[in-house]
Amino acid sequence: MEGFLNLILEPINEVYLKFKGFFPNLLAMLTIIIIGVFVAWLVKTVLLKFFRAIKFDSWCDRMGFTALLRKADIWSKPADIFAVAVYWFMIIGFLMVGFSALNIQAIDSLVSQFFLYLPRAFSAVVILLIGYMVAGFLGRAVLIAAVNSGLHYAKLLAEAVRLLLTVLILAMALEQLQVAPSIVVAAFSIIFGGIVIALAISFGVAGIDPARRMIESGGEEKKKEKGDVEHV
Amino acid sequence: MAENADIVIGIPSYNNAKTVGHVIRAVDAGLAKYFPDKKAVIINSDGGSKDGTSEVIKNAVIDHNALLIQHPLSMAHRITTPYHGIPGKGSAIRTVFQTAVDMGASACAIVDSDLRSITPEWIELLISPVLKEGNDFVAPLYDRHKFDGTITNSIVYPMTRAFYGKRIRQPIGGEFGFSGNMAEFYLKQDVWETDVARFGIDIWMTTEAIANDFRVCQAFLGAKIHDPKDPGSDLSEMLVQVVSSLFDLTEKHSDKWKEVKGSVDVSTFGFRYHVGLEHVKVNVERMLKIFREGQNNLKGMWLDIIGSGDLGEVLVLGALSDKDFRFPLKLWTRIIYDYAIAYHKKKLPPQHLIKSLVPLYLGKTASFVMEVEEMDKDGAEAEIEKLCMEFEANKEYLVNSWK
Repeated sequence: MEGFLNLILEPINEVYLKFKGFFPNLLAMLTIIIIGVFVAWLVKTVLLKFFRAIKFDSWCDRMGFTALLRKADIWSKPADIFAVAVYWFMIIGFLMVGFSALNIQAIDSLVSQFFLYLPRAFSAVVILLIGYMVAGFLGRAVLIAAVNSGLHYAKLLAEAVRLLLTVLILAMALEQLQVAPSIVVAAFSIIFGGIVIALAISFGVAGIDPARRMIESGGEEKKKEKGDVEHV
Repeated sequence: MAENADIVIGIPSYNNAKTVGHVIRAVDAGLAKYFPDKKAVIINSDGGSKDGTSEVIKNAVIDHNALLIQHPLSMAHRITTPYHGIPGKGSAIRTVFQTAVDMGASACAIVDSDLRSITPEWIELLISPVLKEGNDFVAPLYDRHKFDGTITNSIVYPMTRAFYGKRIRQPIGGEFGFSGNMAEFYLKQDVWETDVARFGIDIWMTTEAIANDFRVCQAFLGAKIHDPKDPGSDLSEMLVQVVSSLFDLTEKHSDKWKEVKGSVDVSTFGFRYHVGLEHVKVNVERMLKIFREGQNNLKGMWLDIIGSGDLGEVLVLGALSDKDFRFPLKLWTRIIYDYAIAYHKKKLPPQHLIKSLVPLYLGKTASFVMEVEEMDKDGAEAEIEKLCMEFEANKEYLVNSWK
């Protein structure tokens, strides 16, 4: 009978001992998560006040971030979005730290993978942000320059430049994230090369007549410009 | 210790060997004829010319007998020096200021080295208002073709006049006279590492003189003919240089111009006469084409800058036939003020903002050319006067929107 009782109690005891050993870890995890939630909330509140003080929303309006968000059907203020993004980023971070306190091998390896991946994710976000700004800036510069030169297809040209840059930036970000890198590079080469060839062919075909006129007139247009009004 | 001089004449140059000899001879003759008893120095501040400009300056000789002028007591001393700092006309002129201050000069003048129409009288007209009348700054007044100087006529002159209350007709002329005190004031300003050192020195000198209550006047010099500018120089770049300098100064002197109401004439020296000027070709059709391209492609940008009301008026203009195209003065005034506000509020990068003004500016210029085509010079000048009055009348709008 005693043997039978031992057979029942031993696993219970073992579970109890394991739980006893595991409990501090669980407590540590919960403590880390609770503190994490509080710290994240605190950082979010401070960030919101800081953004308001430096008029971050107006700056985003000027830089075109707000317009980008509206295009994506996001109607919150940029300051709120950034603060919430930081909040959730911290929550995820603290969750990972908390899980690692459990000392479970599978979770440990998941957590270490997550932290190893963070720099790549961060670089990808930076590439996307800077790329968006550069594409917008250059697209606008091309549009204005083309209009001021009297080109009829100014908007098309500007959009083509923006598209090329967007493809390049997306490829860079995906490569950084190591999302099927070989496919990304191959797809990028095909798409980018295709766009460039298409542009070259269309420019060449459309440019035959103007080029002929230019050669036939022997630079007459340039002379006309020279004799034009003096602006200053 | 540098030697003393009564008069310093500065000639900034960069590869002007073809014309600088004539300029030097005219300056030399002017000094000998009108200021024979003054000690004078001609300083050529050169940007590293490679075409022998400095040799031409050293070797330029003048036959005083042929010009019926007596030899001066002391010949004008010539100095050729490379300037230091950021490359540009501003840095070259800074060297002239420094020389004038070091030599304790009472009066100075600056003349461009690409001038073909300069005569000895220009020196008298730029220096005498300072030496004899106690003025601190002498702006040039030229006889120009009615179609020339359109950035000056449609933006710089009306705006400077409305902002600072002084009617200086050519605020970005290129030739100036000024006192030793004025040179000292310019030299002390902390702008020599900014765009003023590259370009925009002309409008900067004029505006600083007016805004800081120096005694200003203008001198009629006749026609200004200079070497043709580089045909590759782009209108957008020109507009960016001139308008960004103007807007930067608007920013700097906002406390001053908000208080100014109306405008007054400044003393004008020299004998006024009309010169037979070469015909100027204007391609109105091309200007309107670019205006309409702007309307089709830059609508979104313009909406942010000038607002929906004025954009509506611009769109109506675009629908008119070339013959009927007329740019209302009020609308143009509001557009320029809105651009000044957008520049102040940094709505767009400065280059993009001002370049987006080019199609509107060409629309305004085309309209002006068609309006004054049948008019004589005085009629065209009356149209510019109307525009200036609009700028003055609408200034309240800018004052109220400037926060």
